[in-house]
Amino acid sequence: MNTANISSPGLYAETLAKGAIPADHVHPDSLKGIPRRQTNPARWNGEGWDAFVGALRAKNVEVREKKQTCLVYATDCGGLAYGRPHGVTLAGSAEQISAILKEAQKRRVPVTVKGGGLTTEGESVAFGGLQLDMRGMNRVISVDGKNMTVRAQAGIHWHTLAEALRRDGLDYLSAPLNLTASVGGTLGVGGIDINSPRLGPSADQAVSLQVVTPTGEIRECSESENPELFERVLLGYGQFGVITEAVLRVRKFTPITMYYFYYGSLRDALQDLQLLVREDAADYCGILTILDKAINLLVAFDSDEREHAFFEKWRNRIRGHGEPGFALRMAWHYGLRPWRLGEALYLLGRKRALEPAFKPGQYMENGKIVDRAVVFGNQVWKFWGGRQMVIPDLAVNAEKFVEAIERGNAVCRKYFPRYTLYCVGIKLSGRRQRYELSCVPPDAVDFAYGCEFEPLLGDAIYSREYLQTFKNEIYDIGVDMKTSYYRFGGMMKGYIRRAFGDELVDKHLAMKRAADPAMILNPDVIF
Amino acid sequence: MTKGSSEEIRKVDALIVGSGPAAAACAKRLVDAGYETVALERKALPRHKACSGILSPRGHRFLIENFGPLPKEILHTPSSAVGVTFHFPGMLSLSMNFDGGPTPHLHRKYADHWAMRRSGAEIHDLTEFTELQDKGAYVDVTAMKDERTVRYRARRVIGADGPGLSVVRSLYPDYAGQIPWFVVGQKFHAVIACPLDDRYFHFWFHPQLGHYTWSHARDGKQLVGVGFLKGENFDVRHQRVVQYLEHRHQVKLGPAESPEIVPANFGGSLINRYIFGKGNVLITGQAAGFFNMIAEGMSCALHSGAIAGEAAVESFRNPADVQRTYRAMIASEVRRCSDQWNPLEIAFGRPHEADFRGALNKLKVRERLSVLREILSFIKLYAPLNWGRQILRHSVYRQVLGRYDSARWL
Repeated sequence: MNTANISSPGLYAETLAKGAIPADHVHPDSLKGIPRRQTNPARWNGEGWDAFVGALRAKNVEVREKKQTCLVYATDCGGLAYGRPHGVTLAGSAEQISAILKEAQKRRVPVTVKGGGLTTEGESVAFGGLQLDMRGMNRVISVDGKNMTVRAQAGIHWHTLAEALRRDGLDYLSAPLNLTASVGGTLGVGGIDINSPRLGPSADQAVSLQVVTPTGEIRECSESENPELFERVLLGYGQFGVITEAVLRVRKFTPITMYYFYYGSLRDALQDLQLLVREDAADYCGILTILDKAINLLVAFDSDEREHAFFEKWRNRIRGHGEPGFALRMAWHYGLRPWRLGEALYLLGRKRALEPAFKPGQYMENGKIVDRAVVFGNQVWKFWGGRQMVIPDLAVNAEKFVEAIERGNAVCRKYFPRYTLYCVGIKLSGRRQRYELSCVPPDAVDFAYGCEFEPLLGDAIYSREYLQTFKNEIYDIGVDMKTSYYRFGGMMKGYIRRAFGDELVDKHLAMKRAADPAMILNPDVIF
Repeated sequence: MTKGSSEEIRKVDALIVGSGPAAAACAKRLVDAGYETVALERKALPRHKACSGILSPRGHRFLIENFGPLPKEILHTPSSAVGVTFHFPGMLSLSMNFDGGPTPHLHRKYADHWAMRRSGAEIHDLTEFTELQDKGAYVDVTAMKDERTVRYRARRVIGADGPGLSVVRSLYPDYAGQIPWFVVGQKFHAVIACPLDDRYFHFWFHPQLGHYTWSHARDGKQLVGVGFLKGENFDVRHQRVVQYLEHRHQVKLGPAESPEIVPANFGGSLINRYIFGKGNVLITGQAAGFFNMIAEGMSCALHSGAIAGEAAVESFRNPADVQRTYRAMIASEVRRCSDQWNPLEIAFGRPHEADFRGALNKLKVRERLSVLREILSFIKLYAPLNWGRQILRHSVYRQVLGRYDSARWL
């Protein structure tokens, strides 16, 4: 069959270096403020693939090329970006990854790394080239109870790590609520939990890393050894190396006591959260809402001492109330608005399902949740997961927190009948290099705040176009307010230059080019 | 006349009929997800396409995000339009800029070809779709190439062939005869004198000129176009517009060159009468009824095409009724497209990418009333089509339920 007769192969050719922004042939002011970035990348053309695979096979590196295998990797949790790798390799060792990256540099073959695949903007989706599945490296290597650290392979899921640590009565410091994230992926993007107000992002619990650089060198790095690489790789979005092993700080495992405070005003709840974060009043705290009606500030404690101190010093300073007050307020609100009966029933149904789910008998002991990692990990998927995770977010400083939430919620209301909000504080450890060009907003001091806006899609089917338009409207708020984003790159990478400016992005682009001359490692994420 | 036929059947995941913006967007979604996709185009590529070429900012963004920055070869001169100017018989003119800044003036011949190539799909040009048979598990398609029959077997077929409606005719043989047809034509003139601002797309709300009358600068010439119900003479209509421009706007043009006339299945989006296909066959873009005015037409073609591609991908990955999936997904684009014709949305919402209400509010009250009166008088031009009550009914339905009635879609 003949294909189209193209009069000239170079008819529309415009060769651009990766990451460069071309001149605008339309008009300098067109799409004001939106850099001309292709965010649904074109599929890599496959040039040199066969030789690449041949060279790897000669080194006993297995590459799976069957269409059925590759289609498994078509998308990520966000379900908005689709791609297909030419082949897939299950990670086995740092040496194997080193061999892959050396060949990839030589032959300019893109390599896209995937851990738990919990990205939502296609960051772990391969648009051709090799998909490196880190889940093959999923072992705990050693637990050091004396120095309170654990060394694990980076493809391990947090729940597997938690399970291993429990045997020694230990726990990790902080991890994303969704525990099927991988350790390596989390360290590369940040990682927030409801204890991040005390402990910072998960990336800050890393003591040292084993990294394979984009040119294939295997390096150990920490604050004292190769510190520059350490700072580049943490919150580096996979641009400066593949994390193969990580040494993380751990702590003694403790059951937790949890309390819920209900609010009639979102603004009050947000201000109270900031008070608790600022004054270190609780071991865990965060806000979860449904439809701006059920506004819930949750606080939890690792010890009775901290719990008593909270009730002594802070309980009277926050404006939340208990469940009876919430029930009365809802009855009054919907009693006056009987036409919103459907919404009231939805909230009631949600409450009835959630309450027992967060206090499952088998994980409760003397009123304490014995393993919050398991309880939260399960419920996050059950109640906040779905066919796809649509969670645009904003990462802001303390002053912008309330406005960002209110504006984001207004966008949710415009697009969806049901939505939820999740927000937490994030403790920052000074002005670390790793925070530059990351989810940590440049103007945040001491604390940043993560605001996640999530439609509750249920069984409803929406087009990707619609969902991406919703997400873009949230991200537009970030540009307007000069914030950062927790989900950073992939299909929203057009926002990076808008949020951080050309100077900073070009600085990191230069570092990327120096570290990865062929620009083959996770090539479609940031640049 | 068929000279012969090939018994070889090309098996693919998806077969797209057409090579315009809807086809390119659809192909992009399918190819990205790893599905083997072939697009059929009856003409040789790159092929000519009669069109104003003005693309809305939403469509511009879609092109960049999916196909990359626009190369200069796919743009006319001037390369952009700043906005739209509405002209009224009382000689009031209302200019409004596009929300997102100047927007592209596409050379459709090359823009369509560029997008199609960037989609990564395999393109079979000079190949004309003739018929299809949905066998349940797959669709058998027959086409003609070099006077020979060529055969395809696809899991999904997407009709994105614009007003040609060849795929629609295969599914619903009577459909084309049941809808009103318009003719849209344009001619190019050397410019002797033209006071119309060449940065804007100009549109006339003038019932005596035509249902859709426009003019703008292109490649050193002035394009004058007019749309009207099929059955009237294009040259007469066009000459009437040229004379009007000369008498009322002092536009002096040289002789007309390069007449281009295309049929238009205009109206589906006004009365919420879209056609999305059946079985394994999806219809999208203008063929489905996505037809919009003033720079938004290509935008809704791109977005609806992408949604058809998404629905096909979804049906491959999670076996489900592809029609149900497509109709659920396409509802947002129906809202977007039909809202732009919905008088209640125009009066109380902000459905367009240029601020008509804002521009109107800048006029004096007397002028505002005059404009509204002239728009009403213009709308009367459509009275013979009996769309008025339907538009009103769907407008109210939309206001009450927040959506359009999907039971109306074929």
